[in-house]
Amino acid sequence: MPCSLKACIGFVIACMALLTTTASLALEPGDKAPDFTLPVLQQGNLKSLSDYRAEIVYVDFWASWCGPCRQSLPLYESLFQEFAGQGVKFLAINLDEHEQDAVNFLAEHPVSYTVLRDAAAHTPEAWQIKAMPTSFLLDESSRVVKLWAGFEPSHLQEIRNAILELQTP
Amino acid sequence: MRSWNCRLPERVISGWLGLALLCLLSACAPVQPWERGRLAQERMSLEGDPLLQAMDEHVYSSKEAASGGIEAAGGGCGCN
Repeated sequence: MPCSLKACIGFVIACMALLTTTASLALEPGDKAPDFTLPVLQQGNLKSLSDYRAEIVYVDFWASWCGPCRQSLPLYESLFQEFAGQGVKFLAINLDEHEQDAVNFLAEHPVSYTVLRDAAAHTPEAWQIKAMPTSFLLDESSRVVKLWAGFEPSHLQEIRNAILELQTP
Repeated sequence: MRSWNCRLPERVISGWLGLALLCLLSACAPVQPWERGRLAQERMSLEGDPLLQAMDEHVYSSKEAASGGIEAAGGGCGCN
Protein backbone atom coordinates (compact mmCIF):
# COMPACT_ATOMS: atom_id res chain seq x y z
CA MET A 1 0.00 0.00 0.00
CA PRO A 2 1.53 3.35 -0.94
CA CYS A 3 2.45 5.80 1.87
CA SER A 4 -0.03 8.49 0.79
CA LEU A 5 -2.96 6.05 0.98
CA LYS A 6 -1.82 4.87 4.40
CA ALA A 7 -1.61 8.49 5.55
CA CYS A 8 -5.12 9.08 4.24
CA ILE A 9 -6.58 6.11 6.07
CA GLY A 10 -4.70 7.09 9.21
CA PHE A 11 -6.15 10.60 8.99
CA VAL A 12 -9.69 9.26 8.70
CA ILE A 13 -9.23 6.94 11.67
CA ALA A 14 -7.77 9.80 13.71
CA CYS A 15 -10.74 12.03 12.84
CA MET A 16 -13.22 9.34 13.80
CA ALA A 17 -11.37 8.71 17.05
CA LEU A 18 -11.43 12.43 17.79
CA LEU A 19 -15.17 12.61 17.13
CA THR A 20 -15.95 9.67 19.41
CA THR A 21 -13.76 10.93 22.26
CA THR A 22 -15.30 14.39 22.02
CA ALA A 23 -18.75 12.84 22.32
CA SER A 24 -17.77 10.99 25.47
CA LEU A 25 -16.53 14.16 27.25
CA ALA A 26 -19.96 14.90 28.74
CA LEU A 27 -20.33 16.48 32.18
CA GLU A 28 -20.49 13.67 34.72
CA PRO A 29 -20.93 13.34 38.48
CA GLY A 30 -17.79 14.59 40.18
CA ASP A 31 -16.96 17.13 37.47
CA LYS A 32 -16.79 20.82 38.29
CA ALA A 33 -19.68 22.60 36.58
CA PRO A 34 -18.48 25.35 34.22
CA ASP A 35 -19.30 28.81 35.46
CA PHE A 36 -21.72 31.00 33.53
CA THR A 37 -23.03 34.56 33.65
CA LEU A 38 -26.50 34.95 32.20
CA PRO A 39 -29.26 37.57 32.27
CA VAL A 40 -32.40 36.99 34.29
CA LEU A 41 -35.45 36.55 32.07
CA GLN A 42 -37.31 39.82 31.49
CA GLN A 43 -35.07 41.67 33.95
CA GLY A 44 -31.67 41.73 32.31
CA ASN A 45 -29.59 41.76 35.50
CA LEU A 46 -26.80 39.22 35.37
CA LYS A 47 -26.41 36.16 37.57
CA SER A 48 -23.41 33.83 37.73
CA LEU A 49 -23.12 30.29 39.02
CA SER A 50 -20.29 31.55 41.23
CA ASP A 51 -22.85 33.78 43.00
CA TYR A 52 -24.19 30.59 44.53
CA ARG A 53 -20.96 29.14 45.82
CA ALA A 54 -21.30 27.29 49.14
CA GLU A 55 -24.93 26.50 48.28
CA ILE A 56 -26.66 23.47 46.87
CA VAL A 57 -27.86 24.39 43.38
CA TYR A 58 -30.31 22.63 41.10
CA VAL A 59 -29.87 23.73 37.48
CA ASP A 60 -32.51 22.92 34.89
CA PHE A 61 -32.11 23.50 31.15
CA TRP A 62 -35.50 23.94 29.49
CA ALA A 63 -37.30 25.46 26.53
CA SER A 64 -40.93 26.32 25.69
CA TRP A 65 -41.02 23.79 22.85
CA CYS A 66 -39.89 20.95 25.12
CA GLY A 67 -42.92 18.73 25.90
CA PRO A 68 -41.68 17.19 29.18
CA CYS A 69 -40.92 20.71 30.47
CA ARG A 70 -44.67 21.30 30.75
CA GLN A 71 -44.64 18.60 33.40
CA SER A 72 -41.26 19.25 34.98
CA LEU A 73 -41.52 22.98 35.71
CA PRO A 74 -44.61 22.82 37.95
CA LEU A 75 -43.08 19.86 39.80
CA TYR A 76 -39.80 21.70 40.27
CA GLU A 77 -41.78 24.62 41.62
CA SER A 78 -43.30 22.35 44.27
CA LEU A 79 -39.83 21.04 45.10
CA PHE A 80 -38.52 24.60 45.33
CA GLN A 81 -41.30 25.47 47.77
CA GLU A 82 -40.50 22.35 49.80
CA PHE A 83 -36.83 23.31 50.20
CA ALA A 84 -37.40 27.07 50.46
CA GLY A 85 -35.24 28.64 53.18
CA GLN A 86 -33.02 25.57 53.46
CA GLY A 87 -30.16 26.91 51.35
CA VAL A 88 -31.14 25.04 48.18
CA LYS A 89 -31.17 27.22 45.09
CA PHE A 90 -33.09 26.46 41.90
CA LEU A 91 -31.92 27.93 38.60
CA ALA A 92 -33.77 27.42 35.34
CA ILE A 93 -31.88 28.23 32.15
CA ASN A 94 -34.15 28.90 29.20
CA LEU A 95 -32.80 28.10 25.75
CA ASP A 96 -35.56 29.54 23.57
CA GLU A 97 -34.46 31.53 20.55
CA HIS A 98 -37.12 34.17 21.28
CA GLU A 99 -37.67 35.47 24.78
CA GLN A 100 -41.41 35.90 24.23
CA ASP A 101 -41.81 32.12 23.80
CA ALA A 102 -40.37 31.63 27.27
CA VAL A 103 -42.54 34.38 28.71
CA ASN A 104 -45.69 32.87 27.19
CA PHE A 105 -44.76 29.45 28.54
CA LEU A 106 -44.20 30.82 32.04
CA ALA A 107 -47.53 32.61 31.90
CA GLU A 108 -49.12 29.14 31.69
CA HIS A 109 -46.64 27.39 34.00
CA PRO A 110 -45.36 30.04 36.41
CA VAL A 111 -42.37 29.40 38.66
CA SER A 112 -41.03 31.53 41.48
CA TYR A 113 -37.37 30.54 41.25
CA THR A 114 -34.78 32.35 39.12
CA VAL A 115 -35.08 31.88 35.38
CA LEU A 116 -32.07 32.81 33.28
CA ARG A 117 -31.78 33.12 29.52
CA ASP A 118 -29.14 31.72 27.21
CA ALA A 119 -30.39 32.30 23.66
CA ALA A 120 -26.87 31.87 22.27
CA ALA A 121 -26.71 28.40 23.89
CA HIS A 122 -23.13 28.73 25.17
CA THR A 123 -24.02 27.13 28.51
CA PRO A 124 -25.62 23.90 27.22
CA GLU A 125 -22.63 23.49 24.94
CA ALA A 126 -20.21 23.91 27.83
CA TRP A 127 -22.26 21.56 30.00
CA GLN A 128 -22.54 19.01 27.15
CA ILE A 129 -26.32 18.70 27.24
CA LYS A 130 -27.49 15.54 25.47
CA ALA A 131 -31.26 15.88 25.86
CA MET A 132 -33.96 18.38 26.60
CA PRO A 133 -34.69 18.94 29.41
CA THR A 134 -31.55 18.14 31.39
CA SER A 135 -30.99 19.03 35.00
CA PHE A 136 -28.01 18.94 37.33
CA LEU A 137 -27.69 18.87 41.10
CA LEU A 138 -24.55 20.68 42.25
CA ASP A 139 -23.00 20.55 45.70
CA GLU A 140 -21.57 23.49 47.65
CA SER A 141 -18.36 23.41 45.59
CA SER A 142 -20.28 23.47 42.28
CA ARG A 143 -19.44 19.85 41.54
CA VAL A 144 -22.03 17.74 39.75
CA VAL A 145 -23.63 15.31 42.18
CA LYS A 146 -26.15 13.86 39.81
CA LEU A 147 -27.72 14.69 36.46
CA TRP A 148 -31.02 13.80 34.84
CA ALA A 149 -31.28 13.73 31.04
CA GLY A 150 -34.93 14.03 30.09
CA PHE A 151 -37.73 14.11 32.64
CA GLU A 152 -40.05 11.57 34.25
CA PRO A 153 -42.20 12.18 37.33
CA SER A 154 -40.19 9.49 39.13
CA HIS A 155 -37.16 11.81 38.93
CA LEU A 156 -38.74 14.06 41.53
CA GLN A 157 -38.24 11.58 44.34
CA GLU A 158 -34.67 10.92 43.18
CA ILE A 159 -33.95 14.65 43.23
CA ARG A 160 -35.52 15.00 46.67
CA ASN A 161 -33.44 12.12 48.02
CA ALA A 162 -30.25 13.49 46.49
CA ILE A 163 -30.85 16.94 48.02
CA LEU A 164 -31.60 15.42 51.44
CA GLU A 165 -28.42 13.37 51.19
CA LEU A 166 -26.41 16.51 50.47
CA GLN A 167 -27.98 18.32 53.37
CA THR A 168 -27.05 15.53 55.76
CA PRO A 169 -23.74 16.49 57.44
CA MET B 1 -3.79 -1.54 -30.73
CA ARG B 2 -3.29 0.64 -27.75
CA SER B 3 -4.81 -0.62 -24.46
CA TRP B 4 -7.13 1.72 -22.56
CA ASN B 5 -5.53 0.91 -19.24
CA CYS B 6 -5.39 4.49 -17.83
CA ARG B 7 -4.38 4.10 -14.22
CA LEU B 8 -4.08 7.27 -12.14
CA PRO B 9 -1.08 7.53 -9.85
CA GLU B 10 -1.70 6.39 -6.25
CA ARG B 11 -0.87 9.86 -4.98
CA VAL B 12 -3.66 11.43 -7.03
CA ILE B 13 -6.20 8.82 -5.88
CA SER B 14 -5.19 9.34 -2.27
CA GLY B 15 -5.44 13.10 -2.65
CA TRP B 16 -8.96 12.96 -4.06
CA LEU B 17 -10.00 10.38 -1.49
CA GLY B 18 -8.67 12.56 1.30
CA LEU B 19 -10.45 15.61 -0.05
CA ALA B 20 -13.72 13.72 -0.42
CA LEU B 21 -13.47 12.36 3.13
CA LEU B 22 -12.66 15.83 4.47
CA CYS B 23 -15.79 17.19 2.81
CA LEU B 24 -17.88 14.35 4.24
CA LEU B 25 -16.54 14.92 7.75
CA SER B 26 -17.20 18.65 7.59
CA ALA B 27 -20.80 17.86 6.64
CA CYS B 28 -21.28 15.94 9.90
CA ALA B 29 -23.11 18.58 11.92
CA PRO B 30 -25.75 16.92 14.08
CA VAL B 31 -28.59 19.00 15.45
CA GLN B 32 -27.91 19.67 19.13
CA PRO B 33 -30.72 18.94 21.60
CA TRP B 34 -31.24 22.66 22.32
CA GLU B 35 -31.49 23.42 18.61
CA ARG B 36 -34.55 21.23 18.07
CA GLY B 37 -36.95 24.08 18.74
CA ARG B 38 -37.33 24.80 15.04
CA LEU B 39 -37.99 21.14 14.26
CA ALA B 40 -40.71 21.18 16.93
CA GLN B 41 -42.65 23.92 15.14
CA GLU B 42 -45.98 22.91 13.59
CA ARG B 43 -44.97 24.06 10.10
CA MET B 44 -42.04 21.61 10.19
CA SER B 45 -44.39 18.65 10.54
CA LEU B 46 -44.13 16.21 7.63
CA GLU B 47 -47.83 15.34 7.81
CA GLY B 48 -49.15 18.88 7.68
CA ASP B 49 -52.55 19.85 8.97
CA PRO B 50 -54.52 16.66 9.84
CA LEU B 51 -57.92 18.18 8.89
CA LEU B 52 -56.69 19.34 5.50
CA GLN B 53 -55.06 15.98 4.93
CA ALA B 54 -58.31 14.15 5.75
CA MET B 55 -60.21 16.40 3.33
CA ASP B 56 -57.63 15.80 0.59
CA GLU B 57 -57.88 12.04 1.09
CA HIS B 58 -61.68 12.20 0.96
CA VAL B 59 -61.63 14.20 -2.29
CA TYR B 60 -59.06 11.88 -3.82
CA SER B 61 -60.96 8.72 -2.90
CA SER B 62 -64.21 10.24 -4.22
CA LYS B 63 -62.60 11.15 -7.52
CA GLU B 64 -60.90 7.80 -7.88
CA ALA B 65 -63.89 5.79 -6.60
CA ALA B 66 -64.43 4.16 -10.01
CA SER B 67 -61.00 2.60 -9.87
CA GLY B 68 -61.22 1.70 -6.19
CA GLY B 69 -60.17 4.98 -4.60
CA ILE B 70 -56.89 4.85 -2.68
CA GLU B 71 -57.05 1.07 -2.30
CA ALA B 72 -54.83 -0.99 -4.57
CA ALA B 73 -56.65 -2.80 -7.37
CA GLY B 74 -57.08 -6.57 -6.98
CA GLY B 75 -55.73 -9.17 -9.35
CA GLY B 76 -57.55 -11.03 -12.07
CA CYS B 77 -59.07 -9.56 -15.22
CA GLY B 78 -60.17 -6.33 -13.54
CA CYS B 79 -63.83 -6.80 -14.43
CA ASN B 80 -64.98 -7.09 -10.82
